[in-house]
Amino acid sequence: MTDITCNIPVALIARFRERKMIVRAHDPLEIVENVRDEDLVDVSFVQLLSLNGKIDSLIGWGNAIPVELVVSDTCRDLPLLYRYAPLLAVHPVRVSVPLAPGFGKVAKLALSLNLAVKLEGGQPEASLLAEMHRMALLYLHQSTVSEPIEFFHSLFLAFYHRHPISLWTIQEEDPSLVRHITDTGEETMPGRLAGMGVPTDFSAFLQDMQRGPAGEEGECAGCEFRLQCQGYFKWPLREYRCAGVQELLRTLRGAAEELRTDIASFHAPGGGGQR
Amino acid sequence: MTGSHFSIILLPTLGCNADCEYCFEKKANHHLSLDHLAVLIEKVMDFLARKHIDRLSIYWQGGEVMTLPPEWFEQAHSIIRRSAEARRKEVVHYLQSNMIGYSRKWNRVIREMFGNSVGSSMDFPNLHRKIKDGVPEEYERLWIRKVREARACGIKVSVIALPNDQTLQIGAERFYSYFVDELGITEFQVNTPFPGGSSNQVKDGYPLDAKRLGRFLLDLARVWMDRGFGKGVQVSPFDRLVEYFVDGRKNLLCIWRDNCVNDFVCIDPQGYVSQCDCWAASYPEFRFGNIFDRDSLFDLLGNSDARRRLAERPGVLVQREDCIECRYLGICHGGCPVRAYTMQGDLHRKDPYCPVYLTLFEGMERLAACRP
Repeated sequence: MTDITCNIPVALIARFRERKMIVRAHDPLEIVENVRDEDLVDVSFVQLLSLNGKIDSLIGWGNAIPVELVVSDTCRDLPLLYRYAPLLAVHPVRVSVPLAPGFGKVAKLALSLNLAVKLEGGQPEASLLAEMHRMALLYLHQSTVSEPIEFFHSLFLAFYHRHPISLWTIQEEDPSLVRHITDTGEETMPGRLAGMGVPTDFSAFLQDMQRGPAGEEGECAGCEFRLQCQGYFKWPLREYRCAGVQELLRTLRGAAEELRTDIASFHAPGGGGQR
Repeated sequence: MTGSHFSIILLPTLGCNADCEYCFEKKANHHLSLDHLAVLIEKVMDFLARKHIDRLSIYWQGGEVMTLPPEWFEQAHSIIRRSAEARRKEVVHYLQSNMIGYSRKWNRVIREMFGNSVGSSMDFPNLHRKIKDGVPEEYERLWIRKVREARACGIKVSVIALPNDQTLQIGAERFYSYFVDELGITEFQVNTPFPGGSSNQVKDGYPLDAKRLGRFLLDLARVWMDRGFGKGVQVSPFDRLVEYFVDGRKNLLCIWRDNCVNDFVCIDPQGYVSQCDCWAASYPEFRFGNIFDRDSLFDLLGNSDARRRLAERPGVLVQREDCIECRYLGICHGGCPVRAYTMQGDLHRKDPYCPVYLTLFEGMERLAACRP
């Protein structure tokens, strides 16, 4: 068994048993009918690619296996999130939403239903960046928000704990950790890299990014977030300008540092921690 | 249907010994027989099994439940217990009664079936609750006497109160004192009135003025915070909102859940299934079907167009109304469908008490932050 997690179509589960898996399907019923109880130990989570299926079958299945709802059309899928709220009683549920117009509404509704959120995509245009910033403030400061928004959440924690972490890892797009298995069984790059085809060396991609855009003279060279980003926002277009993204990351880092300072002062002699 | 818990509002009778002017029900001489109850409960147990639900709450309402004899409930309790034990399900019963028909002969069933607790209703001032051909003052005197008798027997009585125009005039301090200081009620809930069922002059006055009602509710919340919070007095929805703003726990009233369709149904004495008691008797076009005509409650609910329209409502509201912009979407979801329908004639509109709720949520968030 390797540490690499394969995102597989449910129809191919027999070929991947005893490997770490993310199992994807359009219909929840396919999951219930094909994933056996003994498979669950190797399943990181299941991905529902369509929000139209009936969820009843998942209620009594899966021993609290996390479920990810993949939003592909923010407008069409927005009202469908309500159908999945009952799943929370038996499964952790996350909504993955593309950085496309309307993503903020989807994220906000998901949070209001206590569903976690993952934002998908790496080179947001200006209008989407403004919405991302609003979402970051919502995540950081609105007391009624209790669920994480990724990548904000993991990055915030990394800043807070001063742990190194890469956005490729947070976004489950590090090819050395995650692979996408096509419907025909071909092992390819994960996430938004899946269209790149089959590389000869999966781990070479990130090394190339580090040597390439992240390592060259240019915007990345002096970037304060190079450690966390590693060129994440420079793919696929190297010429993407990162000023807006940097501002967003500064907001997350600033909030994490503010919290560190607050907690440190609380525990300092004369603070209120032990009184 | 939240995975492990489901509720039924069960109406064993549509008969009533009162004649309240704002009642949304259409009274009728229909009673649920014990034979029919046995059939009904088996179908409910089948449904729970199919949905992998372990716990059931049954809210017994009417009509007026105490127009049936207590012996009926003792037998009903046995029937349900046998069925639940056979299916390994847990059932908890709750009783909602106007208490007008209460006497000591009810004590045993209230103790054994309902945990020695009854939910009742009274307003202050009482303008609209009456017994047939009676006046509100007479009803109130009788109700107070019955409540005191019940409490003397160790029964806990909680109260649902509906504010009226005079309530808003006399203010929160007097309202709180009436229930807590004068009557000794330590658990009550304030609901918003709506014009369900056939229209009349009282219902034509709904909704109450949003500004005045919002101010009254916030004043009442402050009075409760000063005098009752942490001292054994529970006032809903304030206590639940404080719990939410402090702990994030969403134990909210049904009107503010993400979709009431997921949480409960109502079944009337003839077996008609609808969303809640507000719909059951007066809006036959919103019935989901009849449990006695169908083999399966699961299929009945799954194939109901009326239920589908209700289920779609919050999703429609986030597209059509301004709910998605609201800071409090997560604890409101557009509010109550029956309030929207009865006041606007359109199920897919947000609750007309939205401005009241907004005032309340903002105020409660502030109060929760500086609670004693």
